[in-house]
Amino acid sequence: MAEESFLADDFLRQLMSVGEVDLIVGVPTYNNASTLGQTLLSVEESLRQNFVRERTVILNVDGASADETRQLFLHGGGRSDTVRNGLTSLRTTHRISCEYGKAPSQGLALHNIVAAADLLRAKACAVVSPATTNLTPSWVANLLRPVYREGLDFVAPLYARSRFQGLLARDLLYPVSRAIFGQRIREIYCEEWGFSGRLASQCLEKDVWREEAVRARPEAWMAVTAIGAGLKCGQSFLGPKIAPPTGTDIVEIIRQTVGNFFWCMETNQAQWLSWSDSQPVATFGPDHELSLDGIPPSQEKIFELFRSGVGELEPILASILAQDTHAQIKAIALSDRSKFHFPLELWVKTVYEFAASYHHTVLNRDHLVQALVPLYRGRLFSFLLEHADSATEVMETQSEALCQEFERQKPYLVERWTAKR
Amino acid sequence: MKEVIIQGLSQAYSNLVHMFAEFLPRLLVMLVIVIVGLLVAYVLKMILRAVLHVTRLDRLSEEAGASRFLRMAALPSMTELLSRSLFWVTWLGFILIGISVLGVAGLQEQISRLFLLLPAIFIAILILFVGLVTANFLSRAALLAAVNAGYTSPKLLSWSIRFVIWALAVSMALEQVGVARQTVLAAFSIVFGAVMLGLAIAFGLGGRELAREFLERNLRDKKKEKYEEPQPL
Repeated sequence: MAEESFLADDFLRQLMSVGEVDLIVGVPTYNNASTLGQTLLSVEESLRQNFVRERTVILNVDGASADETRQLFLHGGGRSDTVRNGLTSLRTTHRISCEYGKAPSQGLALHNIVAAADLLRAKACAVVSPATTNLTPSWVANLLRPVYREGLDFVAPLYARSRFQGLLARDLLYPVSRAIFGQRIREIYCEEWGFSGRLASQCLEKDVWREEAVRARPEAWMAVTAIGAGLKCGQSFLGPKIAPPTGTDIVEIIRQTVGNFFWCMETNQAQWLSWSDSQPVATFGPDHELSLDGIPPSQEKIFELFRSGVGELEPILASILAQDTHAQIKAIALSDRSKFHFPLELWVKTVYEFAASYHHTVLNRDHLVQALVPLYRGRLFSFLLEHADSATEVMETQSEALCQEFERQKPYLVERWTAKR
Repeated sequence: MKEVIIQGLSQAYSNLVHMFAEFLPRLLVMLVIVIVGLLVAYVLKMILRAVLHVTRLDRLSEEAGASRFLRMAALPSMTELLSRSLFWVTWLGFILIGISVLGVAGLQEQISRLFLLLPAIFIAILILFVGLVTANFLSRAALLAAVNAGYTSPKLLSWSIRFVIWALAVSMALEQVGVARQTVLAAFSIVFGAVMLGLAIAFGLGGRELAREFLERNLRDKKKEKYEEPQPL
C-alpha cells in the first residue's frame, strides 16, 4: 500500500477497526456544524432504507473546522436509533472522521476518501456535501445504487433547475466536456457524485493529488479518468438544486472549473485528440428538468462588465484569440445593447481558442482563465436577452444546438491545439 | 662623436630587444588567458543554457509577459539573454586579468576597479530581470482583478503597480553598480513620496465627495448595491 503513508495513524486505526465494507458515504466538511446534522440524518436514513444488508460506513473528512463539526459528527449529530418506517439496518453503520489538513480542499478530502475506499475494499462510494441543505435520503440512494447494483463506475448528479440557474454549466461546461470527452454527462462539476471502488483504486494510483486543479475541483478529473480508462459512466436524477445563500464569486468559480477543465484536457490529450462525436450515458430518472420559475437576473451590469472587459483587456485578448475572432468580439462589444447578440459559432471558437492558448501557455494560465470572465458575461447577457420569455423547450433546443456546434468545431480546436508555436 | 651615436643607437636597440623579450612572454600569457577565458566562458554559457532549459525559464518569462518586452526590444529569449550575459561577463573578466598581466603602468588600478564591478553588473541585470517579470505579472493580475470586479480605471491601477516596481528595480540595480548611489536613493524617495503624497492630496481634497461616496457605498450600503451574479453552477 504505497499510498498508506499519507493517512494519519489515528485514521488508519479507525479504518482497520471497521474492516471491509460495501458502501462508503464521504462527507467532506469545513465549518458545517449548522447543517451537518440534517445531512447525516438523510445519509443514515438512506442507508437504513435502501441498503439493509450492506456493510456501510460514513466517512467525515474535515479541513480543520474551527467550529464543532467533527465533534458533532462523532458524538451524535444526526444519529438516530429509532426505527423508521418499520425498517432497520441489519448491520451497524460506522462513523469515521479524520482531519486531512489545516485548510479546506476538496481534492485532499477526496484523496482520503478514495484511499479509505481502496483500503476497505468498498464496492460503491458517494460524496455528499453538507452545504446542500435540501439533501434527502433518496439522493444518497440514487448515487450509490447505479454503482452498487448496475455496475457503473462514475455517477454524476442531475438536478432540477430554474431556467436561469446553472448557466455556466449549461452554456460552457456541459457542451465543451461533451464535445471533448465524448460522454454526455451534464453535471461534470458537482458537489454530490458516486463512484466505484475500482475507479477509486485507479484514481489513487495517479500522481496528481498535489496539482492545484485537482485540489480545488477533483470531481471532473475523476469523471475524465473514468472515461479515459473506458469505465462506465452515468448520471442519476437527484432533485432541485438550491443555490447557496451567499453571493457568487464568478471569477473564482471560472478559475476553479474552466481552469480545471483545461488542465484535464492538457493531461488527457493523448486520448481526446483522436475522439469524435459524443455518446449518451446511462441515465436514471429524467435527463433534465428545467422549470419556468426564477426571474431573469439584472442584465444592466453584465453588459457593462463585458464591454469594459473587452476594451480594457485588449492586449491580453489579442495574445489569446485569433485576429479574426478578436475583431468579431470587439465589433459586437460596440453594438447596441438592445440588439446585442453573441453568436454560438463565435462563442465556441472563443472557448476553443482559449483552450489552445492555455495549452501553448501564451501567458500565465491563471491569468488566461480570468480573461475569459468578461467574454462569458457577454455570452450570458446574450442568452438572457434571447431567452427572457422563452419556454423551457426552446431553451433546451438551443442548448442542444450549442452542444452540436462544439462538436462540429472540434477539428478547429485540434488544429489549433496541435499547431506548433 | 660617431661612436657616441652608435653607442646610443646600440643602447636603444638593446633596450628595445630587452623590452620585447620581457613583453612577449607576458603577451603570450595574456593571449593564453584570453583563449582559456573564451573556452571557460563558452562552457559556462552552455551549462547555464542547459540548466535554464531544464528549469523552463523561457516559459516562465513568456507567462509573466517579460518575453513580449524582450521581443519588442529585438532581444533574444530570456535563456539566451542570460547565458550570453554570463559568457560576456566571464570572458571580459578573463580579458581584464590578461591585460593586468601585461603590467602596463596606470592600467592596473583601473582594471582592478572594473574587475570588482563585474559581479555587481551581473547582479544588477538579474535585479532588472526579476523586476521586469514581477512588474508584468503583478500589473496584469491587478488589471484582470480590477476589470472583473468592475472597478473604474483598471489600467491606471495596473500601470501604477508596474511603474512602482520598475522604479524600485531600476533604483536597486543602479545602487548595486554604485552609480550615484546617494542621488538614486534620494531621487527614488522623492519620486515615490511625491506620487503617494499627490495621490493622498488628490483623493483627500480633490476627490472628497468621491471618497465619501466610495466609503458609503462600500461600508454602509454594501448589501443593497452589490451586484449579484446569476448562479453559474
